[in-house]
Amino acid sequence: MAVDRRTVGVFGAAFVLRLLLICLFPSLPDLLTGRVEVSTPVNSFKRLQEGLYLYTRNVSPYDGGVFHQAPLLLPLFSLLPGVQSNPIPTAILYFLVDLVNARALVTISESGQSVQSQLHSAVRKHIRWDGVSVAAWFLFNPFTIATCLARSTSVFTTTGILFAVSNAVTGNSVNAMLALGFASYLSLYPALLFVPLVLLCFDQRLQSANKPPNGIIYGLQHAGILLASIAGLLGLSVLITGNFWEFMSATYGFHLLVPDLTPNVGLWWYFFIEMFDSFREFFLGVFWLHLASYVGGLTMRLRRQPLFVVASLLGVFAIFKPYPSISDASLYFATLPLYRHLFPLMRYTFFAISAILYSSLLGPAFYHLWIYAGSGNANFFYAITLVWSLGLSILLADSIFAAIRDEWEQDHPDAQGTEVKQV
Amino acid sequence: MTVKPGDPVSPLTPASDASKSHTTRTRVPPPETPEAVQTRFRVIAAFWAVIIFLGFPIWWQTTSIYRAHLPIQEMVDWADGKTCRPVYPLEIHVAAPLLQSPESQHLLRTTQHTLDDLNEFAAHHLRLKLTNDTSDSAARVVEDSTSTLRNTAGETPDVVLTVRVLPEEGLATPRSELLAHTTQLDVFYPPSQIPSPSTSNPPLSVFIAQELQRLYGEEKATIAHILSGESAGLDSTSPQLTESISRRLRRSMKYAETYHLSFSLFTPGSVPSSWDIEAAVQEYLSPLLDAFEPISNFTIDTQVQLYATFSPMTPAPIYDETEAAWTLKKEDLSAFINAAEWPLNPSIGNGPTLNFILYVPDPSQSPMVVKENRASSWIVPQWGGVFLLNPPLEKDQSNPAHLSQDSLQSAFMTFSHQLLTLLGTPSTPASLPLRLQTLIRVRAATLLLSASSTMGSLARLTESLPSIPIPANVASSVSTTLSHLSATCSHLRDGRFNAALASARVAENEAERSFFEKTMVGQVYFPDEHKVAVYLPLLGPIGVPLIVGLMKEVKRLLAEWKAKRAAA
Repeated sequence: MAVDRRTVGVFGAAFVLRLLLICLFPSLPDLLTGRVEVSTPVNSFKRLQEGLYLYTRNVSPYDGGVFHQAPLLLPLFSLLPGVQSNPIPTAILYFLVDLVNARALVTISESGQSVQSQLHSAVRKHIRWDGVSVAAWFLFNPFTIATCLARSTSVFTTTGILFAVSNAVTGNSVNAMLALGFASYLSLYPALLFVPLVLLCFDQRLQSANKPPNGIIYGLQHAGILLASIAGLLGLSVLITGNFWEFMSATYGFHLLVPDLTPNVGLWWYFFIEMFDSFREFFLGVFWLHLASYVGGLTMRLRRQPLFVVASLLGVFAIFKPYPSISDASLYFATLPLYRHLFPLMRYTFFAISAILYSSLLGPAFYHLWIYAGSGNANFFYAITLVWSLGLSILLADSIFAAIRDEWEQDHPDAQGTEVKQV
Repeated sequence: MTVKPGDPVSPLTPASDASKSHTTRTRVPPPETPEAVQTRFRVIAAFWAVIIFLGFPIWWQTTSIYRAHLPIQEMVDWADGKTCRPVYPLEIHVAAPLLQSPESQHLLRTTQHTLDDLNEFAAHHLRLKLTNDTSDSAARVVEDSTSTLRNTAGETPDVVLTVRVLPEEGLATPRSELLAHTTQLDVFYPPSQIPSPSTSNPPLSVFIAQELQRLYGEEKATIAHILSGESAGLDSTSPQLTESISRRLRRSMKYAETYHLSFSLFTPGSVPSSWDIEAAVQEYLSPLLDAFEPISNFTIDTQVQLYATFSPMTPAPIYDETEAAWTLKKEDLSAFINAAEWPLNPSIGNGPTLNFILYVPDPSQSPMVVKENRASSWIVPQWGGVFLLNPPLEKDQSNPAHLSQDSLQSAFMTFSHQLLTLLGTPSTPASLPLRLQTLIRVRAATLLLSASSTMGSLARLTESLPSIPIPANVASSVSTTLSHLSATCSHLRDGRFNAALASARVAENEAERSFFEKTMVGQVYFPDEHKVAVYLPLLGPIGVPLIVGLMKEVKRLLAEWKAKRAAA
């Protein structure tokens, strides 16, 4: 089968490329692990090692105040041989996780949900890439490769999210909720994807079932499944750590209150360094609400394309979450090729891509100038993270514009190809 | 960003297809479907729901200021001195073992009368009381003069002085003798001058009254000086006394709960490299520090610094043939300490540091003295003291390698004296226990005033800045301060000065803690106008599209409603 051969080729090539990179440059993983663009306090592999060390010595992993990740990662990684002596097995695990993520993307792409769903049918649905190409865009994205080599634990969240989506588009709503529960358990913010995901599942259900279920009951049922899955994972975590409140405050409390202001590619750290202490809590609330407020608006506006809402929210998270890294951007970039048919409608792709390239090249340079050379200051790096966020925002806004335009053209077939004017 | 999720789909104006139709007619954009209008309404409602149901509660919750209740009026009253006028009734026991009871009663009455006539500062007055168990009380006083200082508890007033009136043969006029280590004044009188109950103003009474007045003259002037502020003291105080009091207050350290004493041995050569400092401190200083216990605590550290050179700015000592000594000029003493190179910490731990420097000059420059008066020590106001030690040289013309306890005696006697001066102990009377008692009363007055004025400042601060938070611990500190202030005041009124000082110390501590509360200090420098700068840069850009969207939507709804009414 020709298609299978292509799939094997892409997946095999991605695997071999990663293997070659760590064999040819053995110091590369450790270098990437230390980069602030890749490793944040909530996904750093170094911090995971610290937690693992404490865990294997029967000390609470959160004692040192360094480790802030979900406790269930610990038993998983304690099964692997030590990274210092034998880094290959850990690396292989991460490669496989990447391939699994790519596989989920292939499923999403092949379901055709991005172009043709219950309530929406794209006008240009002939312009699209097949699943293997979408997977290739993900697997050969330098951001994905860097995240994978840096062994950031964000990839597990990515797995959770992609599996939730891929199960939703194939109609396994229960599995989708379980996967989303896993992702939310790991990183908290994916819980915001609940609404569009349930709508996605609901639309699937409408397509397949003769008798449409009650929307509210359906939503409540799935919320129950999601909560149950999170509760189950939390219960397992308590078995591991023993102290419920300690791990809750060290993980989710850390996500919510953002006490560690290590520089990253996001917008929070600089703002909260500068913020007056008495307003800190207020602006934490503002930032989190800002992040959350997009869920309602986007879901309402793009009710007909819940999968696109999920993709756009992933973009919003990559820009506005408290500890973003390039792995979040890579997840967003992974979903964009699903919308190949929107590319002709986008107007600022050149500008957005330039800004992203510019900042991803200059970011490390300015960080070096600030931290190591001492000839720059924090504003250098912060300016670059602003440009990075600007690039992502333009891309995001442009894609949303394209999606809305697409919807509009569907409603007004006579006006296709006309120019738009903002009023 | 030109498109927001909440924006309506941009209506299209068709580009003029000039090449095809050669016309420039404008097509009207197709009307919005009711469905699109409803979607827009929902989107705007979704954003505003988040703002109203989550945003405003968070805003309210996180920016509301907790202001604990403070008794403002009471605090201001304390600062204005309305609540408490400190008074100093000093209880003095008079023992006249060899006088008959009526005679001694009379003596007491007339002496008190004379004292009251002499006294012009009502807040500070001496109350005489007759006691008969003279031998007993005198013995007690002699035995542990320091322990009476520590007697802080108890309901009876502290006995500040015992006057023993004794006859002595062969005296023309009465004479008095103050025992240096006790709180006892012996008055000797010629037996012929036994006051008879008939005389209204016996010379003995006048003598005793004048003696007492002299003993407490300086204290009275000091307290008057403190209570009345810098401006005026008592009219009768001589200018010299005023000058000496203000000089002493200038020289002495600000009051602190704990002082750190740092003893340093500096020498320009390699010897002496050791000293019997521990024994010397134990022997010469500990008794004094113990006596200071009700007033302040002390911590001590010591160091030996070899090869300690003068700074290049210091004028070198000059050899004086007539004196046969190396001399330092008086005006150069301020440059004696090489502050840049000598490791003298400005402050260790909590309290201020008092530095005592023992300088052993090089054998080639020994002996070293101050030129003008051949003194070997001087005091550095509010900082410490210096002593030049010229030990006898060894046979090979070098300094001894070790300074024994005995050789340190003169230095430590001087240091003790300097310490007393630096802590603000008055110079008269001659008895140390009396001087320490005076210091206790003076300190109680200063602490009372400073804690009261801190309360006043705190009250004014919280009044003038309505946006400043007042944490609960500040309120509790304030109430502790106020209760201890009134305890101080009543202790003073009852003449229990040790207890008064103990309360005043607590009050001062709590007052300082409440005034310098960390969360408040930050807010002091944060005026309300700055809030605009805090809120606007982020919330402004976010808020404008939201508000404009809301206004448009409200306008549309109003128009619809009007149209409906018009139709109906």
